[in-house]
Amino acid sequence: MRSSAKYEATQSPVALVSTVDRVLSAVLRHNATLLLVLVFCAVAVVGVFVIRDLQTANAEAENIYGVSVQGLREIGELQFDAQETRRATLYALTTNDSNLQVEYADQSRGADQRVTDGIAQYMHQAKLPADMELAERLTHDWANYLSIRDEVLASILEGSTKEAVTLDLTGGVPSFERVRQDLNEVKRSYDDQASRRLANVVATSRRSAVRLIGILGFTFLLSSTAVWAIQRSRMLSAIQLAKLQMEFVASVSHELRTPLAVLSSAADNIADGVVKEKMDLERYGRVLQNQSRQMTGLVDQILLFASTEDRKKRYVLEPLDVAQIVGSLESSTRELIQGAGFVVERHMQPGLPQVMGDLAAITQCLQNLVGNAVKYGANSRWIGLDVALGPAEHSPGQEVRISVSDKGIGMDRSEIPHIFEPFYRSPRVNAMQIHGTGLGLALATRIAETLGGRLSVVSELSVGSTFTLHLPIVERERLEMTGAASPPYSSKQT
Amino acid sequence: MGRLASLLILVGLAALVFAAPPRNALVSVPPPLPEQTLLTQPLAIVVNRTNSVDDLSLSELRRVFLGERSHWPNGRRITLVMREPGEPERKTILKDVCQMNESELKNHFLHGLFTGEILVSPKILATPIGVRKFVFNVPGAIGYLRLSDVDNTVKIVRVDEFLPEDKGYKLHVEATRTGN
Repeated sequence: MRSSAKYEATQSPVALVSTVDRVLSAVLRHNATLLLVLVFCAVAVVGVFVIRDLQTANAEAENIYGVSVQGLREIGELQFDAQETRRATLYALTTNDSNLQVEYADQSRGADQRVTDGIAQYMHQAKLPADMELAERLTHDWANYLSIRDEVLASILEGSTKEAVTLDLTGGVPSFERVRQDLNEVKRSYDDQASRRLANVVATSRRSAVRLIGILGFTFLLSSTAVWAIQRSRMLSAIQLAKLQMEFVASVSHELRTPLAVLSSAADNIADGVVKEKMDLERYGRVLQNQSRQMTGLVDQILLFASTEDRKKRYVLEPLDVAQIVGSLESSTRELIQGAGFVVERHMQPGLPQVMGDLAAITQCLQNLVGNAVKYGANSRWIGLDVALGPAEHSPGQEVRISVSDKGIGMDRSEIPHIFEPFYRSPRVNAMQIHGTGLGLALATRIAETLGGRLSVVSELSVGSTFTLHLPIVERERLEMTGAASPPYSSKQT
Repeated sequence: MGRLASLLILVGLAALVFAAPPRNALVSVPPPLPEQTLLTQPLAIVVNRTNSVDDLSLSELRRVFLGERSHWPNGRRITLVMREPGEPERKTILKDVCQMNESELKNHFLHGLFTGEILVSPKILATPIGVRKFVFNVPGAIGYLRLSDVDNTVKIVRVDEFLPEDKGYKLHVEATRTGN
């Protein structure tokens, strides 16, 4: 949220380039996080593969049991029942008692019905052409055997034992042998299927193991890299912070040294009696007054930043008229602006709603922006102050936008992400001998965020910059807003 | 020895004469049975379902059950299926079809088998279920069943163009005996 609140892309093709820069910057700054995300993604992807492998193995195992093992069991039963059909028929030969013969015939028919049902089920389940062909052959051979078996049974029951034996030897035995061979072939087919599926399960398990080992190694490697990157990132951050603090100390010392030198020089001149005239003394007094105020302002800024460091500084939020804010800003910066010889061009939309905020804090925030405009406004000597209503980007409703523009040196696109960081000073402004502490924008951002608003910037090198403070409007005002705004008017103040 | 035997015979005859009650004497006879109601049900002649014969006259049926006809028109050998002696169904067949008693039937088959006029003696089954299963298994079999024992595994043959349910059907078997 914070980074998104820091700046906005310009409303032009430059926006795309800016977005790319932002992404690249994020990649550089958050490489450790990206590595962790990469690890998570890799683990997730490989995990999906492993889960799929396990599911495949489970399905194969279920197939082995449901089709092959079950099929083998059913074929075993079929073989037994086929033998039972034949056994009962042959038992009928061993007696002359018609009652027993009928009983054996009944047993034979019961068994053959189970075989017929089993063959029909096998035929129904057969999917491969070879299996279907085998099922058809088995059905045909079994029917052939049954027709001979019926004749044999009839002969036995009629009492023609010799005829029954002859019929069985010439027709029954060969046809039953064909059935037996068919059943053995079916059994072999199920055996082959089971072997193939078992091989699949073994292959899948092996593949899963390899993948698991791979992902463990990959995870270990990437995790180690991520930890290393995090440690390195922290170390670099600490180094950067230390460097910035050193620069800050140097900068603050320099900022304090200039007025101190003036103060010291003025005090020496007065003490040594160099300045005796009343008019000169008054002039020196004003110099001492200005320099001490400048030093006080600098120290106040540092203290204020320190107080907002933990983001726990509390402001008293109250409804404020925008005109009141602008008035406070003008009175607090009048001396600065006039002293620097700048012209302020103000555009203020009429009928603006009240905003929620702390007057002193908002004034301080805007004062920093105006101070920057003066500092980096170069020779244009121009500052634009625009106050308008616009749609809130991060919440429903509308917001008040107070923009401070200059036509100064502007910023390079790569600098923009860093200007809100505390103690950051652009190498370019350092080279231009423009002094500062690097706290102004950081402080302004913190104030804006603490008040529930945000700060954005649009800048172009050598063209100028526009910093905008986005402030939430009072809730009841938000409800009353219809979105119809009067046309803006402009006023010029010198 | 001969005199002793003659004497014993005479003594025995005398004992029988004196021991016999007079004709007008009261004798202990069993009480008359109460009025009896005799219920009957049709006795169906059944053949294998593959048998093309649908109708037989009573005389043809007699020849079949006496073994005088050995083959069906389709060439299949006729196999007779009978119930055991004493069963009501068998009694009906003996009385109404064969018109013989048990000993006459026995003698008939013994004679026929001995002379070669009859090829196979009847198969004796103990239960109606056995008869039904036998007829179901043997294409040339013919037997008899109470109509209530018939199912669709066998085929009923008309006798003199009558089915068992028809009025005028001649073969009936004693069903149950009830008393009051």
